Amino acid sequence: MPGPLAGIRVFDLTMWMVGPWCSMQLGGMGADIIHIEQPGVLWSSLGAGVPPTINGTSIGYIAWNMNKRGLFLDLKATEDRSTAYELIKSSDVFIVNMRTGVADRLGLSYEALSAINPNIVYCSITGWGETGPMATRPGADTQVGYFTGLWSTQGATGEAGQVYRHFTQTDATSGNYAAQAILMALLARKRTGRGQKIELSMLRCASAIQTPRIAEYLARGSVAEPLGSASQATAPDQAFLCEDKQYVGVSVTSEAEWKTFCAVTEQLQLPDDPRFASNVARVEHRAELTAALEPVFRSKPQFYWVMKLNAGRIPCGYPMQFEQLRQHPQVVENDYIVDVETSAWGNVYTGGPPWHFSETPARWFGTPMPGEHTGEILDELKQPAAPLAGRQV
Amino acid sequence: MAGPLAGYRAVELADGVAGPYCAMQLGDAGADVIKIEPPEGDRARGWGPPLQGDTNAVFLSLNRNKRSITLDLTTPYGVEVARRLLARADVAVVDPNRLAAPDLSYEALGDLNRQLVYCAISGYGDRGPWADRPGGELPAQLLSEATASLGRIGEPPVRMGHDAASMYAAVYSVQAICAALLARDQIGSGQKIDVSLFGSMLAMRSTLWVALSNPDEWWGFHLDSYVKPPDHGYRCKDGAIFFSLARMDRAGFDDLIRDLRMEWVRDDPLFPLLAQDTAGGGGRYSHVVHHLWERGFAEFSTVEVMEMAERHGGLTFPMNDYEALVNDPQVKFVDVFQTLEQPGVGQMSVIAPPWQFSDTPAELRLPAPQLGEHSAEILAELGVRSATGAQSAGNSRVH
Repeated sequence: MPGPLAGIRVFDLTMWMVGPWCSMQLGGMGADIIHIEQPGVLWSSLGAGVPPTINGTSIGYIAWNMNKRGLFLDLKATEDRSTAYELIKSSDVFIVNMRTGVADRLGLSYEALSAINPNIVYCSITGWGETGPMATRPGADTQVGYFTGLWSTQGATGEAGQVYRHFTQTDATSGNYAAQAILMALLARKRTGRGQKIELSMLRCASAIQTPRIAEYLARGSVAEPLGSASQATAPDQAFLCEDKQYVGVSVTSEAEWKTFCAVTEQLQLPDDPRFASNVARVEHRAELTAALEPVFRSKPQFYWVMKLNAGRIPCGYPMQFEQLRQHPQVVENDYIVDVETSAWGNVYTGGPPWHFSETPARWFGTPMPGEHTGEILDELKQPAAPLAGRQV
Repeated sequence: MAGPLAGYRAVELADGVAGPYCAMQLGDAGADVIKIEPPEGDRARGWGPPLQGDTNAVFLSLNRNKRSITLDLTTPYGVEVARRLLARADVAVVDPNRLAAPDLSYEALGDLNRQLVYCAISGYGDRGPWADRPGGELPAQLLSEATASLGRIGEPPVRMGHDAASMYAAVYSVQAICAALLARDQIGSGQKIDVSLFGSMLAMRSTLWVALSNPDEWWGFHLDSYVKPPDHGYRCKDGAIFFSLARMDRAGFDDLIRDLRMEWVRDDPLFPLLAQDTAGGGGRYSHVVHHLWERGFAEFSTVEVMEMAERHGGLTFPMNDYEALVNDPQVKFVDVFQTLEQPGVGQMSVIAPPWQFSDTPAELRLPAPQLGEHSAEILAELGVRSATGAQSAGNSRVH
């Protein structure tokens, strides 16, 4: 059985991460993603060789362009632009993440494309929005993360907030929201009978993903201090050091779990303490609660707590690393890390589909070289009844 | 015109962060969302402080555009009403690890509604030895090695502040639900979806898995991220900034050193690294020469440093906390925040849905509901007698 988006065609004019990440999700769900690269220029992150690399290619290009076919088009050349229009006529979705105004100058504005294909769902992703004083500023993952305060709520207790060092989270988040919007617009097309334009800014996306913390700021009216491993909203919900110098993380988020937690840890006096009688009280007295629990956890090794907490159905975990993760049965059985064959870089690990569909399974396949499928796609375009015809309303 | 999902009906059988955010996004997009709550309510109603009015701020932020019905799913009445809601729904959003009624599992529903898209948001996935474990935010972060990108090696773990695992799982769930609704017309039925907190975190770190596969050289900002110290930005006299040399050429670099009155740095043994490295967190030696830049920046305000760096070809941004974010002109220009009338609170500032649709705009239609606020209304729609009148076991209180 093919994926849920079988029959959907995407004209993918994206580069670097946010746009490619978006189309890669749609490709994993079975859409036909035609990823455009300009010959000789390599708009994606491929050419620069930004380290780390595999066979000279930035791993960013490899990681963000799976599940696609590669097509070379020089959009400044008349003939290639005609080819682009032909492809867009048979496409359902157009995605672009060039800086505001660039697509328009290439003749690829929503107005131009909806005139030749009213069914097209046109998705434009920018860093800061298409209007306002920052509209034309460059914007990528790191800058948007710093700007939106993503760093500000995380850090060691008593220290300033710190940036998540695996840059990519705001790019991937924005790409994921863009994929949502595209799918929603495809559903709306069934009702309205036509496509539409979607605008996404990484600024709004990176803010939206912080909804719980920003809501707390708006309610409190002051900026919260980072709490190490502890939650702002719930307690006890943090990591504890165990007897064997390893950590166990435990999340108690309801009153029922709190009572069970106290039984599991044999701290039956705690629920009767007015400082710990409700979550609100425990959050207000987090320091005292932590002080009461630290010696308890330090009295037994990590595996003891993992066994006990799991037996009590209290959510818990401990730090794992890639080398354990990639072989872990929970990861392997759910295809959360997969080994994918690529045409130019051998087999690589990557995250597998995050969604399991019972009837229309998603699948991950390798990254094309830029332009790898140019001949094949141009041949398909010459055959009028080809499987190219995208699913119509 | 109504939102893109107008006409679709969703039922939420989850609480906390992931399920509610997923269902709220469906509601923001125009779907009619019914939130089934146990008599004691969504656990997040009791979270915090801070509160707004008498309700937790996080709960309010994740539950607009929904109607609430209270059902005791440990009673036959509660289960029957829930089944009737699911029988006419397009979408169910369920926490399978905390489901109070086994009769409401996908398998148990059987032929009740073959068109239903049933999205389970689990802790660890629907297969494997941990399939039945209840999920949690911090456990998912630890197990997916997310905490290896924060803090210092050998020191206590630091959590990602923004409930990353739950929020990411919610975002992926919305994708899967919409895809399954599209596929429904092709295959003639709904289906079951599983998205987990753990799997979502692993997917969001997939760039690292590629980087770790077989790199030509063991460096570059993906791999370096494991071993570098905490990144607090570049501190100036009055705050911190994002700072990158970007496309600055050697002449620009020399001018910047002069303007910052940093000529002393040319005598520092680390100067060759400073001059060759890309400043900013992605640089190979950025953490080694970071203190040299900060010694120069300490004499100037953030505005002054940003102006100088940009003038010579660098790229800078303010490192905003939430107070600065809320007051930023660009943030106001692109409507990151909108207002919603929340009973008991008044006009409340909320984060807008991120998508802007030209023809089917998302809308803030309903504030977060009181517990069971719409019980009577929803029962009337179903044609079910209210349990308050009948005084049956599974009551549906209306507050």
